[in-house]
Amino acid sequence: MAFMPTDTLPAILNQDAGPKDNGQATYLEAVALALDHEMQRDPDTFIIGEDVGQFGGAFKVTKGFLDKYGPRRVVDTPIAETGFTGLAAGAALVGLRPIVEFQFADFISCAFDPIINVLARHHWRTGDPMPVTMRAPFGGRLRAGPTHSQSVESYFAHVPGLKIVMPGTPQDAAGLLISSIRDNNPVLYLENKYLYRRLKAAGPLSMDPIPLGVANVVRPGRDITLVTYSAGVHQGLEIADELDKEGISVEVIDVRTLVPLDVETIVNSVKKTSRAVVLHEAAKRMGYGAEIAATIQEEAFWYLDQPVARIGAKNTPTPTSPPLEDAVIPQPAEIAAAIRAVARA
Amino acid sequence: MATKTKEAPAAAAADAADDLGSRDRDLLLRIYRAMVLTRAVEDRMVAMYKGGDLLGSLYTGHWHEGISVGAASTLRADDYMAPIHRDLGAHLYRGMDAWQVMASFMGKATSPTGGRDGTLHYGRLDLGHYNLPSHIPANFPVATGMAFAAKYRGQDKVCLAFCGDGSTSRADFHEALSMSSVLDLPNVFVIENNQFAYSTPISMQSKSMQFSDKAKAYGIPGVTVDGTDVLAVHDAVAEGVERARAGKGPSIVEGITMRMHGHAEHDPADYVPPAMFEEWSKKDPVELFEKRLVAAGVIDQATAEDTRKQARQAAIDARKKALADPMPTAENIEDGVYAD
Repeated sequence: MAFMPTDTLPAILNQDAGPKDNGQATYLEAVALALDHEMQRDPDTFIIGEDVGQFGGAFKVTKGFLDKYGPRRVVDTPIAETGFTGLAAGAALVGLRPIVEFQFADFISCAFDPIINVLARHHWRTGDPMPVTMRAPFGGRLRAGPTHSQSVESYFAHVPGLKIVMPGTPQDAAGLLISSIRDNNPVLYLENKYLYRRLKAAGPLSMDPIPLGVANVVRPGRDITLVTYSAGVHQGLEIADELDKEGISVEVIDVRTLVPLDVETIVNSVKKTSRAVVLHEAAKRMGYGAEIAATIQEEAFWYLDQPVARIGAKNTPTPTSPPLEDAVIPQPAEIAAAIRAVARA
Repeated sequence: MATKTKEAPAAAAADAADDLGSRDRDLLLRIYRAMVLTRAVEDRMVAMYKGGDLLGSLYTGHWHEGISVGAASTLRADDYMAPIHRDLGAHLYRGMDAWQVMASFMGKATSPTGGRDGTLHYGRLDLGHYNLPSHIPANFPVATGMAFAAKYRGQDKVCLAFCGDGSTSRADFHEALSMSSVLDLPNVFVIENNQFAYSTPISMQSKSMQFSDKAKAYGIPGVTVDGTDVLAVHDAVAEGVERARAGKGPSIVEGITMRMHGHAEHDPADYVPPAMFEEWSKKDPVELFEKRLVAAGVIDQATAEDTRKQARQAAIDARKKALADPMPTAENIEDGVYAD
């Protein structure tokens, strides 16, 4: 998959999608299929958010759901992120399984309070579970600018009580969403909107849940470990192919869920390769890569031949104009150079 | 749709005695006992605060008893509520134990959160009481969710959402009211107007003449009543509960009272004009209701005295139990961050 941003946000917004598996479901369709699967399976699940019903969602993930499930279970709301997130908390408290859609991850800041102070700490305080799944499309490369392109995972990774899921493939999008919905905790499920219609499954999707907290070694390698997630997985795989020609064997790990984090898979890989690079499109400073890098040095310091390198976005807001955005979000050449530098040092 | 003010001033107590005969005597007695117990427990806890029994500060509901018990007494046992830190009365009315509240203010293992949370955070879901975080308005959206779940399941349960005058300024209030009204949720929003948001008087919070006026913006009924008249509150909230139960959506009931103590016991409330305390001291909701019951012959003076004595003893016993209860141990402190 090439990371050449050829389309812009409106082009993605205006396309249709529906929950039908044609054997080559896109990432977006995988989300829709998993939602549909769980809505059919569990009558306590409902979808709530802005424009999710009659409009089918801003990205059309829930297109057709209102007709199929009715307004009782597919709930259009006013523009009130605090309101509907808090509503989801109350409904979960008395036994329902709300699935909240944030139109853009950028808007989740409007619901920071109910997520942090209500959802995340309620179980620890009281013993009452809060099974709320919060879906949010995040990320850049769509020329959408500083408040439509953010990676928000680090804001929330600091908070005890939240799980954070960031699938990178259609199959993972489906299986991890199903696990998220069935989980008895608040789960932040971050969909990479750049991948929505770029990735296609290689066959019919399995609707089996994929457990949270299990990383996937998507490409085995000998010389260096690349730890990444979401769109970084595809960047990593492309670059690994390229570096293979140069004689550098890169092992690519897709962590898939940030919380819980599969430390064992990462550490075992580093013990084998002795070198590690962490990649994400969120800003490098205080990005989740810092946690991964620190964990590697705590758990496998004496196996390392080089310091762990981190690759992330520059410490600026995400710009709109293509040359500016490309200068901020990690590009293939700089990722390859960083991996090469650690591998050859 | 209209916002209205129901006139039920204290002066009405004497000549309103006649209407008590038509009321459920058991209900009147339950309300009375809960108000007297609330006062006794809070007075005892003030002494405990001063004596160093408690961990931090103490938030009391002196003069809120009429609103809190008046509203809670409209509910069925299977209804929900999201009370605030002035609502000990609502908790006690619906079955919370006084010692458990004291244990919460002491960080004891036997508090509803086992000491993980404490002070005013003593809600219990088994009673249908949401355990709110420190910033009170956060419980408004949660209350819409409990109401949503009831409606979703086709149950005729309702959820009372309590807040103070201060909380009405927050976005949570607006968003919860928007959500509840457009979704026709079975909520009654009870605004306990006690004149101050910590130190900020209502004149610096809102240009609305009364907080129930805000109902107009959501196209729902809103009413303001004398919050020191427990039956006026009960009747107004009962109307809202009946409406909500019948699927007709939410409403607002504002009860006007006074916060007779500081925001919490550490706060001397120097910003309150002394004349205000003096004026409101004549409107003790517990005393007013007791006089009214005696005047109407629902109880006699001896029964009133006996009720107060029993409540005082219950508060003393609750303190003894809470004091004797163990503190939590920290060996499992990391358990339960996540549910299984």
